[in-house]
Amino acid sequence: MKHLTEDELIDRYYGDDRANAAQHLENCPDCAHAYAALEGDLADLRPVATPLRNASYGEQVWSRISPLLPARTPHIPARSFRGRWLALGSAAACALMLATAFYAGRLWEHRRQHATTATAQQPVQNHVVVVLLSDHLDRSERLLVELKHAHPDDSQIISPLRDEARSLLASNRKCRQQAEKTGDPALTKALDHLNELLTQLANQPGGLNAAAITRLQDEMNGDGLLFEVRVLRSRIPTRQAATMSHTKGGTV
Amino acid sequence: MGENDHATIQAVLKGDKEAYGVLVAKNSHSVFRVAFRITGNEADAEEVVQEAFLRGYRKLERFESRSSFSTWIYRIAVRCALDKVNDRRIEESKRVVTDSDPEFDTVQVADEAPDAERLLLNSEMSAVRESAMRTLTPMERAAFTLRHMEDCSIREIGSALGIDPNAAKQAIYRAVHKLRQRLASLKVNT
Repeated sequence: MKHLTEDELIDRYYGDDRANAAQHLENCPDCAHAYAALEGDLADLRPVATPLRNASYGEQVWSRISPLLPARTPHIPARSFRGRWLALGSAAACALMLATAFYAGRLWEHRRQHATTATAQQPVQNHVVVVLLSDHLDRSERLLVELKHAHPDDSQIISPLRDEARSLLASNRKCRQQAEKTGDPALTKALDHLNELLTQLANQPGGLNAAAITRLQDEMNGDGLLFEVRVLRSRIPTRQAATMSHTKGGTV
Repeated sequence: MGENDHATIQAVLKGDKEAYGVLVAKNSHSVFRVAFRITGNEADAEEVVQEAFLRGYRKLERFESRSSFSTWIYRIAVRCALDKVNDRRIEESKRVVTDSDPEFDTVQVADEAPDAERLLLNSEMSAVRESAMRTLTPMERAAFTLRHMEDCSIREIGSALGIDPNAAKQAIYRAVHKLRQRLASLKVNT
């Protein structure tokens, strides 16, 4: 008689066995003994109890991961075949225009080379200012988004918010001074506005608590500060491009 | 999948991040359970729970509504737990173990559980069990855990681990074989 292998006994244990395995076990004492030993060993390997988690465990997990999740842009369905060709055509036309503009720019650059060398230093300085402002607005936007979505009762969010606000206060002051110097009233006003919120976040008397966070969220939503910062950020690429082209013209 | 889950996923895909919290709250317990059983460690399991839901959020566009969200996130959790066990194994292999005392081998249990669980794990049978489980490769450990402790079918195990069902079956055979050998030697020593 051919005995069952260990693999066949394992299949039997987990209910994956062939029909004749059960019959064989009834008639073969050796295999029945081997099967009983397997059952005993596998019973020893039953799991320890999983540590208990309370009913609000799901909410606790959410509060831990929620600040780590990036904002999601709405999912755009795939383009149709015709739409894809149109997009490709547009891209090709854009590439051609860019190539033409680049060639024209090189010619123009060559002619202007001597005239612009003397003013090379100033654009570099402007570029640094623009990069600082861009970075400041990026970080401010992130902070405002975090504040907007913060759960007021989540104590873990308080310390990072406060520290980031304190760090941003210094750069906000520098950017405001620069905005005043260059005579940009819209930017100056927005940075003043931002300064008020950062100051409250950084130096809330008695520390930040759920009530203070809720109040700041209401204020922020009411006066459209986040929107204002986003509008300012959207202006940055134009400034940067203008400064960059000026710089390039002077140094090539 | 329930209509509600489907609607919730659509809301998340349209930019409502908070809606994802509903899915997290609903599935955290089952994800923790499987993570704990595969890693055998509470602290690792917590990290796996977090990583699984983060991966799920990033990959949500790829979710196909044919299956349920709970099955989908469960599979992600299994993969994360497998990665965690792999990482831990690599870390441990880097450590220089000079103590060759067999007693040392039988009681060494990586454990960051609180006191109640620590007491339980320190009981003789738990230590024997954990020691035996440590002889398995991460893939064998995960396959065996899913079959023996989570009652998953071979097909489900293959799908969760990203391997052929036959390979899953072979992993379980190897696991049982190794575990029995280890248990036999430990029982003789004790």
